[in-house]
Amino acid sequence: MRKKALFIDPGRCIGCQACVAACRECDSHKGRSMIHLDYVDMGNSAAAMPTVCMHCSDPVAPCAQVCPVDAIPVGTDGVVGTASPELCIGCGNCVHACPFGVPKLDIPEMLQYKCDLCYDRSSQGLLPMCASVCPTDALFYGTYDELVAKRPNARAVDVFDFGNQSVVTGNALVAPAGGEDVIPGGYSVWNEFLSEEKV
Amino acid sequence: MRKQLQILAPGVAAFRKEAKRPGNYVSEERGETMVATHCCYCGVQCGMYLRVSTDGKVFGVEPRNHDINKLKLCPKGVTAYQQVNHRDRLTKPLMRDRRGDPLREVSWDEALDRVVSEIRRIQKTYGNDAFAVYSGSSLATEKCYLMGKFARVALATKHVDYNGRLCMVSAAAANKKAFGVDRAANPWSDMLEADVIMLLGANVGECFPVATQYFWGARDKGAKLITVDPRETPIARTADIHVPVRPGTDAAFLNGVLHVIEREGLIDTEFIRSRTTGWDAVKAGLPFYTPEKTGEICGLDPALITRVGLTWGRANKAMAFHARGIEHHIQGVDNCLTVINLCLATGQFGAPGKGYGTITGQGNGQGGREHGQKSDQLPGQRLIEDPAAREHICRVWGITDDELPRAGTSAVEMVHQAEAGEIKGWLGICNNPMVSMPSAGRIAGGFDCLEFHCQIDFFLSETCDRADVVLPGTSWAEDEGISTNAEGRVVKYNKASDPPGDAKPDWWIVCEIARRLGRHADKFQFESSREIFEELRVASKGGQADYSGMTYERIEETGGIFWPCTSEDHPGTPRLFEERFHHPDGLARFHAVEWRPPAEEVDSKYPLKLTTGRTVAHYLSGNQTRRIDALVQQTPRPWVEVHPSLGYANGDPVRVSTRRGSATYPALVVSTIRPDTVFIPYHWAGRVAANLMTVDALDPTSKIPEFKVCSCRIEMGTEIDIPPPPPVPPGGQVYEEVGAFDKRQPSAPQGRGTGRG
Amino acid sequence: MSDHPTTRSAPPADSAALAGRLRAPVAGAAVALVLTGAILAGSRNLDNFDVALLGYAIGTVVLGFGAAYRTVLWAESPAARRYLVRGWKAILKPGPGLPKSVVRRTALSTLLLQRFIAERSTARWLAHQGLFWGVISASLITFPLTFGWIHFRAVEGTESLYWIYMNGVRTISVDALGSAGWLMFHGLNFSAVLVIGGGAWFLYQRWSERGNNLTRFGRDLLPLIALIAISVSGLLLTVSSSFMDGFAYQPLAFIHMCTVVLTLVWIPFGKFFHTVQRPAMIGIHLHKEASLASGGSLECRVCGAEIEGAVFVGDLQKTMAELGLDYSGWVETCPACKRIARGASYRTDVKAGF
Repeated sequence: MRKKALFIDPGRCIGCQACVAACRECDSHKGRSMIHLDYVDMGNSAAAMPTVCMHCSDPVAPCAQVCPVDAIPVGTDGVVGTASPELCIGCGNCVHACPFGVPKLDIPEMLQYKCDLCYDRSSQGLLPMCASVCPTDALFYGTYDELVAKRPNARAVDVFDFGNQSVVTGNALVAPAGGEDVIPGGYSVWNEFLSEEKV
Repeated sequence: MRKQLQILAPGVAAFRKEAKRPGNYVSEERGETMVATHCCYCGVQCGMYLRVSTDGKVFGVEPRNHDINKLKLCPKGVTAYQQVNHRDRLTKPLMRDRRGDPLREVSWDEALDRVVSEIRRIQKTYGNDAFAVYSGSSLATEKCYLMGKFARVALATKHVDYNGRLCMVSAAAANKKAFGVDRAANPWSDMLEADVIMLLGANVGECFPVATQYFWGARDKGAKLITVDPRETPIARTADIHVPVRPGTDAAFLNGVLHVIEREGLIDTEFIRSRTTGWDAVKAGLPFYTPEKTGEICGLDPALITRVGLTWGRANKAMAFHARGIEHHIQGVDNCLTVINLCLATGQFGAPGKGYGTITGQGNGQGGREHGQKSDQLPGQRLIEDPAAREHICRVWGITDDELPRAGTSAVEMVHQAEAGEIKGWLGICNNPMVSMPSAGRIAGGFDCLEFHCQIDFFLSETCDRADVVLPGTSWAEDEGISTNAEGRVVKYNKASDPPGDAKPDWWIVCEIARRLGRHADKFQFESSREIFEELRVASKGGQADYSGMTYERIEETGGIFWPCTSEDHPGTPRLFEERFHHPDGLARFHAVEWRPPAEEVDSKYPLKLTTGRTVAHYLSGNQTRRIDALVQQTPRPWVEVHPSLGYANGDPVRVSTRRGSATYPALVVSTIRPDTVFIPYHWAGRVAANLMTVDALDPTSKIPEFKVCSCRIEMGTEIDIPPPPPVPPGGQVYEEVGAFDKRQPSAPQGRGTGRG
Repeated sequence: MSDHPTTRSAPPADSAALAGRLRAPVAGAAVALVLTGAILAGSRNLDNFDVALLGYAIGTVVLGFGAAYRTVLWAESPAARRYLVRGWKAILKPGPGLPKSVVRRTALSTLLLQRFIAERSTARWLAHQGLFWGVISASLITFPLTFGWIHFRAVEGTESLYWIYMNGVRTISVDALGSAGWLMFHGLNFSAVLVIGGGAWFLYQRWSERGNNLTRFGRDLLPLIALIAISVSGLLLTVSSSFMDGFAYQPLAFIHMCTVVLTLVWIPFGKFFHTVQRPAMIGIHLHKEASLASGGSLECRVCGAEIEGAVFVGDLQKTMAELGLDYSGWVETCPACKRIARGASYRTDVKAGF
């Protein structure tokens, strides 16, 4: 994971969508939210989960790899940027190749949008908008040490399991101490579920 | 371009909406200054910076690392700035000559002359008390103070009240009774020291999202969280104990908990002996409330009640917080008193981690009820019937005791008096009773009986839309002033921009009416909020809510001062009751409470309980938030939350009926609500207003309406009622009906996710 | 952030790959040779070649080499190669589901009118149209002149009439003082005005926009400065010859040539490469449309919502396999379901019942 990373703890999310609203306030993409907020167990719980770009480091940015016009820049600092407006052709490859379901597409503008860690803010030492406003620190921006100092029983995991492929990311998820070192990405779970259904 | 769209794969089009800008954002501002201020919405009063362009327009927000919120904001706070330059802002006085005519723009002189002549006519014909003033608690404290003074000095009417009557007045009354003072006992940072926190009827995750950090901060340090709510709200989701209490049985539940604590010998006898009176009466009533009996009343497992009792009783340091959930009842004051009884019996007062508080719903809910716009109070939390208080205020205001009216009636009662012909004229400011008052049908009828109705606001609310004269006031960002948050901390709003068009600061409007009326016109020669504040300091001096040691400068420097603050070198009082309570003998009062059923019991015709509340994207009557694109996108319409066992599917049109009205909402089927309870959020107006159905029974002491429980029936309806769009001033851009552009249903109580409907 | 993605897979090592590695330089050399040949042929073995324009000609040949080299490298990435093939097939051999009119309309609205930029903002669109038409018209005028494909000779016995020679063949005559002639001889000035207007808007935008600390000098500003420098120095040449009796004409001409040549040589490597990439990808949306008609759409395995055309998804899965991304089955789930599945499994497996 990155030295300073976004640590996401779905267990703390209250689903208020402050992050979604705040994302729209970032100067570099004012009016457009790049964050996702999903209610993960609708009907049974108020549980919710924010999704920001995880800034995959191994394999490096699948979204950038499948881009036919090299529109998605990957920085030496590991930040995977939003698509360059002059290059992006809006084909949608990145939208579907992203294992986390992050990029959004504006069809008429032929342009992809995704979280770039509020590069204009974070590169200047400001918190990304979402992590700044998150009322419960479900989105926490800082170093790993800062995180565990605040939450002694927490641990960050940056490896996700997608069946045969594991993905190492720049941002990380918070998990209770003492668990597995890999977090399920959902792929295997659904695969099992779907194959059971077929049987 | 539409042609272009057609040649694209249709599947991708679904993702288009996700990325598209949702509205009229302007990002072309150049240069900027940041104005430090606080949010205009709930009682948390988060600090924020408003970003102001060089030409004086507010165009954005930047998080502020203020003590209260530590950079954090909720979706309402993030978008609050969008009210300031909103296209719906009222910029000219509006008037209609007779009911039914459309509103038209008029000059200030014409509008004010009409207001003044109508006040004169009504007061001359029907007496001074025939004209009522109905104010609000989202105003800065200076304006709240001014409204009370205006009603009593300029209008000489006893009929003045405020919309806190619909909000937290039960807690205020209970606090006064038990402690002799009405304020939260502790700063919220005390929570971090607690071992157990109990949260009653408070959907903190949605109504006060930023306060969640205190509750969860305590949990991070090992505290146990107990939530009491008929719905498993976002904060209840991970609570250590969640108590899904049946609506309208809170007093029984708390008596039951106290029963367990007393039975187990977990009470603090030393604290009871040295700091309280009245325990014996409370104790005498407890034997009835066995866990079994309580469980039967509250629809709970008796073991759960025992568990709560043991958890609380064994805690070294415990704190209790409540909000509207237990206050909006005909037994609202009693409910609060049972919480206080619990805290007193276990000695949980006066130290970090030990305490009690109500979480005020409105931004200035605390400050707004302290300085004399409440029907029975004068500035400084003084009682209007207290001769010493009257003498002090008469001296400050320069009037005689004969000229100072006596206590008036409460908000809902005033509308009922209008219906009965006792009140003929009405000046409203900062409220929207068409949406916020119970039994909305009867409320509308009451307003129709008025001979004259003037409303001051900065958006055209549903209530403004029916008024004879509408005067354009200012938003919170266009004037300076103070506000007191739920902790009792006084913070300061700063002016970020000038009012749009011909809109005027609210204090100017009110003073101008007073000057034109002529009765004590010299008492309303204010030129700024600061001058009003200086008078407020003097008026509050010596009262319970003593602000006399505060100055604008001190508030800014300190990041907020807790009252009482009695002199300019007084540091303020973050924690109350460390040594004594505020009754003259220094002791707190126990109050024996016997549970009574709510005003309406379920029967075969209306077998379910209806409860109402808020959702995170909207605020109170929605006059402010139903106009903000991002918030409407998150939660475009109300819904009815039902348990799966009732047999409905998500999105079904479900018709909810009570003895007072009915409406059809899309169903949101969730297992997080009690099977015997349905929930509707109340922010919307017209045919989908939840208050069409609520009961207007009032608490005998606090006169708070029983919003939180009434009996209802649900059945499969035919078509979902479409929420009417918010009213706009003449010539304004009319909103599309939600149903016309967005047929998707809510997906969760917090609104819609960004992914899909 | 670096200027270019760091996602190219490492070049393969075996002998077959040697050919692969040579492909780009060979293509570059071929294009350079063809351009040189065209210059020779068009100018009748340099008979009509203006020696003063030699620098420009060399710059153009280098550009040809670089553009071809970079294009081949680019097209070697699995996604680009697949889409280039798919896209051009759709244009050249449109199937039954793709009327010619749609192809024409797409070309017009995307390539020439650039409506997608208008969707971003009208001002941006106007500025980009200025840049676009300015550069296009300037290229159309200067390249034939540079190569000697077009040249002018005075009609003998007249004051202002000129013959236009194309490929060495005399065509028509124009009056340099007439309106048509005036337009023709000042064409480059109009181009310059368009480019300066558009470029200045973008520069101002870059400078004044909030959140503009993402702007990088080399990547974002230098291209604009280069275009404006070309235009300004070109305009100064006109000013010098028309109003100042040729004052400082030679140094100005040299500066102008330097700006042009450096820009040309740089085109394949910076932001300007989008002028190659985007037109090359014009067909991809047509392909998506056509393949959707022929191959049907793919529905999310979980929620059943339409994701994309089945052919498109199949292509993406092949691309991912070639890149070694071993979760291509995941593509058959829509983004929202991916996120919810991840959240749900977190809720069951990581932090139970959060």
